[in-house]
Amino acid sequence: MSRAIVLNIADNVATLIDSGRAAEPCRLQGEATQTLTITSDIPFGHKVCVRDLAAGAEVLKYGQVIGRASRAIRAGEHVHTHNVEAARGRGDQSGGPK
Amino acid sequence: MAGTFLGYERENGDVGVRNWVGVVSIMDNANPITRAICNAVQGTLPITTLFVRGQYGRDLEITFNTIAGMARNPNIASVVLIGLESQATEEIARRIRPSGKRIESVIVQSMDGGTIGAVADGTRKAARLAIAASHLRRRPFPASALRIGVECGGSDTTSGLSCNPAIGRMSDRLVADGGTIIISETSEFFGAEHLFAERAANPEVRQKFLDRVTGLEREAMSIGMDIRGTNPTPDNILGGLTTIEEKALGAMAKSGTSKLVGVLDYGDAPLGRGLHFLAAPAPAVENMTAMAAAGCQMIFFGTGVGNPIGNMVAPTAKVSGNINTLRKMPENIDYDVTDILEKGASVAPIGDKLYEFALAVASGTRTTSEVLDQRETAISRFGATI
Repeated sequence: MSRAIVLNIADNVATLIDSGRAAEPCRLQGEATQTLTITSDIPFGHKVCVRDLAAGAEVLKYGQVIGRASRAIRAGEHVHTHNVEAARGRGDQSGGPK
Repeated sequence: MAGTFLGYERENGDVGVRNWVGVVSIMDNANPITRAICNAVQGTLPITTLFVRGQYGRDLEITFNTIAGMARNPNIASVVLIGLESQATEEIARRIRPSGKRIESVIVQSMDGGTIGAVADGTRKAARLAIAASHLRRRPFPASALRIGVECGGSDTTSGLSCNPAIGRMSDRLVADGGTIIISETSEFFGAEHLFAERAANPEVRQKFLDRVTGLEREAMSIGMDIRGTNPTPDNILGGLTTIEEKALGAMAKSGTSKLVGVLDYGDAPLGRGLHFLAAPAPAVENMTAMAAAGCQMIFFGTGVGNPIGNMVAPTAKVSGNINTLRKMPENIDYDVTDILEKGASVAPIGDKLYEFALAVASGTRTTSEVLDQRETAISRFGATI
């Protein structure tokens, strides 16, 4: 069983402090205590989704926005650059910063 | 009880944690001479640079201020300037003079013997200064005399959870003891600046800080670039950091919780004590160069996946909480905070011990980047060469 840390009660992602294997349980610690099943292998230090997220939902860590879900993400899924987009420094997307 | 350390008192009241003779290149064309002198004389430190010739305007001004700032650093007892010609050499010398340090110069074009003569003359001058510097003894000083730069590099998700918060606790302890902390890396506030701005001592400081962050973001975006893949870097992403916002929230932890009292630009040094923000590019070598020029006697550097580089003038200590990095490159890590993630240890007592370690480094305990000579200098460029 792998372990993952939830830093803020509002967070919808947790950071693994072990390597997580697909279909194996992961125990949350810190500001949450549930156990969830990981749906794909997740490397040490990467994040797991702890609550289902709709496409476009804010991804929260430290109780703060770290990006947006670029597609729906289910609890137990690996959360990383393949399904989360940064909102900052995106000169490719807008006419200028806020 | 307030912290103390054993340091070297300088002419202007600053206190060094090391006692080197700085051999300073005025331009890149002097670097081979600088290195030859340092190879010949124990107790010297090469302060090299790139470019300078052909720089102009604000870019040149910042470069001159940065070279002189490194030479004025309290860790430097005295300096030998190595210049091709006298005018640029004098530009640097006049910026060092207020520190009261002894300054010798070698001007390659003004003497006989070319580079052979320059190396001989510089070696003779540096040798005399090195012996003179060695007469100085360390004695106790309050921690308030310390200025520590807090940096992170080779970051991963362990950085924001372990080493950076531990460094943050150390920062709070030093500021409480009357010392100075400098945090920098402007782009690494994208997504965390609202939290840091709340800590500004007054509205003017708050605005100055926010202007630096939004100004840089506007500059990056004005060329239509997506900064993803540049920051976070490829190794940050492999280490689990997904966005610049996530990286920034973890990076900011190094600053602790004290009030932000001042904002500096590249080549500037703080006028007072307490927590300062230094606007400078995030990559470690050019960032730490600005910290050394700002008078930091030491740098505490949090790392996740591991980045061994240190600064030339300011001894740089690596702090990591990533168990894999401690196993893979233990000789490049000065302080292990893996208990935070491996054993669920609380940050405060670990940060308190890290502060004691910082005072030990200030008193002469050497860092991995010093002993393994993983040290480099690079001054950021803010304009084109003509």
